[in-house]
Amino acid sequence: MNAPSHLNAEPILDARDVSKSVRGPEGQLDILRGVSLAVREGESFAIVGASGSGKTTLLGLLAGLDTPSAGSVRLDGHALEALDEEARADVRRRLVGFVFQSFHLLPALRAEENVMLPLELEGRSDARERARAALDAVGLTPRRRHYPAQLSGGEQQRVAIARAFVHGPRLLFADEPTGNLDQRTGQHVADLLFALNRDRQTTLVLVTHDPKLAARCTRQVELQQGSVLRTGAERAVSA
Amino acid sequence: MRLLRLSLRTLRREWHLPELRTLGASLVLAVVALGVVATLATRIERGMLASAAELIGGDAGLSAPQRLPDHYAEAARRHDLAISRSAVFPSVAFAHGQSQLLDVQASDGAYPLRGTLQLRDARGDRAGRAPAAGQVYLDHRALVALGLKLGERVQLGGRDLVIASELLRQPDGGELFALAPRAMMSIADAEQAGLLSVGSRARHQLLVAGDAGDVRRWREEAAAAPLPQGAQPISPEQAQERMRSSFDRASAFLRLTALLSALLAGVAIALAAQRYARRKTNEVALLRALGTPRRQVLGLLLGTLVALALPAVALGAGLALLLAQGAWLLASQLFSSIPTPMPLLPVGAAAAMGTAVLLGFALPPLARLGEVPPVAVFRASMARRVRRFDALYLLPATVALALIWSQSGSLQLAGILAVSLAGVAALAALLAAALLWLARRVAPGAHPALRLGLAALARRRGMSLLQATALSLGLVALLLLAIVAPALLDGWRRELPADTPNWFVLNLQDDQRVDFSRAVAGLGARELNMLPLAVGKLTAINGRPIDALQFQDERAKDWADRQLRISWAGALPPSNKVVAGRWAGERPAEAEVSVDTMWRDMFALKLGDTLHFDIGEGGLDARVGSVRQVDWRSFRVNFFLLLDPAHAAQLPHTWIASFYLPRGHADALARLARDYANLSLIDVDALLDQIRAIVDRVGNAVRWVLGFSLLAGALVLAAALAASAAERRHEAALLRTLGARRGQLRLAAACEFALLGLVAGLTAALGAGGAGWWLARTVFRIEGFVPPVLPLLGAALAAAVVVMLLGLAGTRRVVRTPPMQLLRAS
Repeated sequence: MNAPSHLNAEPILDARDVSKSVRGPEGQLDILRGVSLAVREGESFAIVGASGSGKTTLLGLLAGLDTPSAGSVRLDGHALEALDEEARADVRRRLVGFVFQSFHLLPALRAEENVMLPLELEGRSDARERARAALDAVGLTPRRRHYPAQLSGGEQQRVAIARAFVHGPRLLFADEPTGNLDQRTGQHVADLLFALNRDRQTTLVLVTHDPKLAARCTRQVELQQGSVLRTGAERAVSA
Repeated sequence: MRLLRLSLRTLRREWHLPELRTLGASLVLAVVALGVVATLATRIERGMLASAAELIGGDAGLSAPQRLPDHYAEAARRHDLAISRSAVFPSVAFAHGQSQLLDVQASDGAYPLRGTLQLRDARGDRAGRAPAAGQVYLDHRALVALGLKLGERVQLGGRDLVIASELLRQPDGGELFALAPRAMMSIADAEQAGLLSVGSRARHQLLVAGDAGDVRRWREEAAAAPLPQGAQPISPEQAQERMRSSFDRASAFLRLTALLSALLAGVAIALAAQRYARRKTNEVALLRALGTPRRQVLGLLLGTLVALALPAVALGAGLALLLAQGAWLLASQLFSSIPTPMPLLPVGAAAAMGTAVLLGFALPPLARLGEVPPVAVFRASMARRVRRFDALYLLPATVALALIWSQSGSLQLAGILAVSLAGVAALAALLAAALLWLARRVAPGAHPALRLGLAALARRRGMSLLQATALSLGLVALLLLAIVAPALLDGWRRELPADTPNWFVLNLQDDQRVDFSRAVAGLGARELNMLPLAVGKLTAINGRPIDALQFQDERAKDWADRQLRISWAGALPPSNKVVAGRWAGERPAEAEVSVDTMWRDMFALKLGDTLHFDIGEGGLDARVGSVRQVDWRSFRVNFFLLLDPAHAAQLPHTWIASFYLPRGHADALARLARDYANLSLIDVDALLDQIRAIVDRVGNAVRWVLGFSLLAGALVLAAALAASAAERRHEAALLRTLGARRGQLRLAAACEFALLGLVAGLTAALGAGGAGWWLARTVFRIEGFVPPVLPLLGAALAAAVVVMLLGLAGTRRVVRTPPMQLLRAS
């Protein structure tokens, strides 16, 4: 067994004492309380916990989609809480890819055009060629001219994965990526995600209910009512 | 009942949905726009008709060469109408040893029933009634001609009368060829003086006024039995040919604005209904999967629509009445002296039309929801069956055509509008499709924002085509109303230029022509035009006596009895156009006559027919050589019958002249008239003033109605842009998650909307220009109308900017959608 190269690397994602509260109809509601964690480059990291434990909120904070009420999140050295939404958007565009439980493909766009989106945002002229290569990598070349509604759930998620890595992000955030898929398709999608993590050294942070999926990650953290219940032991992942 | 309860509950639960609110708001807007426009238009039309009544001095009446039988007046009294009797006749007045032929009107104290008699005396200018017994009013020319002042005496019809006031202006019955100068006296004096006895040349008038319904009943009653020999009805509509055409055009303008507002509303409703249907697709699939029969699903949808429609229509109708009343209060100074009650029928009709528009435009997408199969709960793509042609979508087209038909009241106007709007829709769809095609090709090398904007347009291909078409239709309506209609009004106004002939001279003899021309030119007269005038009768057609012929057209008999005014000319006069045959010129081989189209239709004449005229002691046979279309609205001297000069010059005739003389020369002209005692000088300045006032009133009224239509149009455009808001929000959140900057989204949206606006604006400018040109030529008959090209092009560019700003305003919230919303939506 070889030790993975990332073990000695600096954390690409570093959350310290992160809290998130919102004002609800019955006063303040603490969703996250003092969560700290660090994810190193090339690592695969799972956030697990029961429904309502704050997993998705934590993912949103780590990815810079939202800002914490207290504490700090550093993504590749950028203190996200100090950045405004525009600057965070810039960080996301350069460094981050997303995969959602509900895929979130634009229904009016063909598969290929959905994958082109992040490249278009960067203003790249080779968007179409790269999108085709990404779709080829997830085995969807024959489906590239299909609209999302013409694709199965598994195929839609593979398009979403192609979109997530087409611009070469250093971090891939996945929110219940297999949650809407059957076991076999889910397995296939998960294989794709871990292959990307392994082959391209893309750091993978995923939220999941699925213990098997979580177990495939190098590390995991379990949340309970907004706090870290336990952090799983780091383990090497064999190829 | 259960369905109704369920529908109401659905409506209550779904009321927060933006598209349902848009649907409701569009319906309210449709009813408000239709209602306000229709109410104001009806009221203004009534006001204008009432102001036409000012011209004739009453709401309706009869005129006859003898005293009208008493039963007409009795019938008027029975209908609670006010009545007034007058008689008009020529009479010679004497004073200070001088005499002057006057056109005298003798009226009772009730005259005028409508409008004002404007007088000037020691107390200044004032409105008054017909003079009391023993008094007379003289106009300025009569005073100058006889060398008289107010308070002095004049002898008229053997009676010695005191000049109580100077007559400034009177309702003139629309009689262009009334003789001048004028005098007004009491009808009692005229009767006592024997001026109205049998054999006099007086024309008697009975005028009535009162409630519109009563007047209508009186007119119907009067028309039910044959009128006395030579009697003619007097009505505001018939007051004067020119005036009638003004009213026709005015109501066409008003109807046009109402119609376009209705179509705008239809577009908005169609867009909102499409959105609602899309939103409901999943729910319907679920209901079907849970075992709800299709019929019940459709019933529920229709029930919800009706539950929404009822309060929306009521609210719209209420608002329309309020706004119409407010607008009327502001605009009523146009018709200050005429009370016109608020009409309620138009709002009722607007409510019905609004409901028809809602059902016509909203039903197709909702009815198609009935086809969503239960299996669509698993596969959204199965929710819609793709059709090459969907007959259900003929419904909105039918409703639109029915609206155009009912509102335009003219097949021609309806046809032009329908073809223009269909053309605009097709052109917009074509241009938008071309833009999308271009987007695919240009996008890779374009500026990132433009590329994103183009990509956004291409992404929502169907929606982009729909929006471009809707925007174009909306804009073409706005441009027609805002730019083309005022230009048409201006064109109309220009038909009465400042130097329109304002004096007519009758009875000019051959040997007076040269001297008279020189004399009036010396006074500063311009545009002098002289034509020979013979008076005769048509006695035979193709050798058959006219009395023996039967004509289908009722007017033919009337004209066959009349003394005809006939003229001749070597060259085709201005404002005449030959529509059949060939203009005879100076010297045709045989006598030729050119007839006006009305004459051709009345007597069913064909080219080559021979007409025989009795003129003076002799007669003349003339072959119909050409048919002319005459613009009777021009203030030139025109004739139904024109002979060739070679054969007509020897007929007994006088001359008729028209010229423009700037104001302030009336005294000099009156002195000139004394030197030519046989001439009748007719001043049409007052008539021209009245016509110009009518044109201005209509212009102002149309502008008021336009204001409301523009507002409705702008709101409908905003509603059309909102159609893709939900999709945009989701897209914006996703793009933000993927790292798009706000500026990037804004710039992309600006590019997208500006392109959309440009396509719509250019299409609309082309459509509005074309439709305007077509309308001007055929419906409004405005010669030489050129669509205002630069303002239209400017408006097209402005439309691009406005659509862009509206789009940006609409996406302001979209751009701010927090990306976190996307994770929550999972």
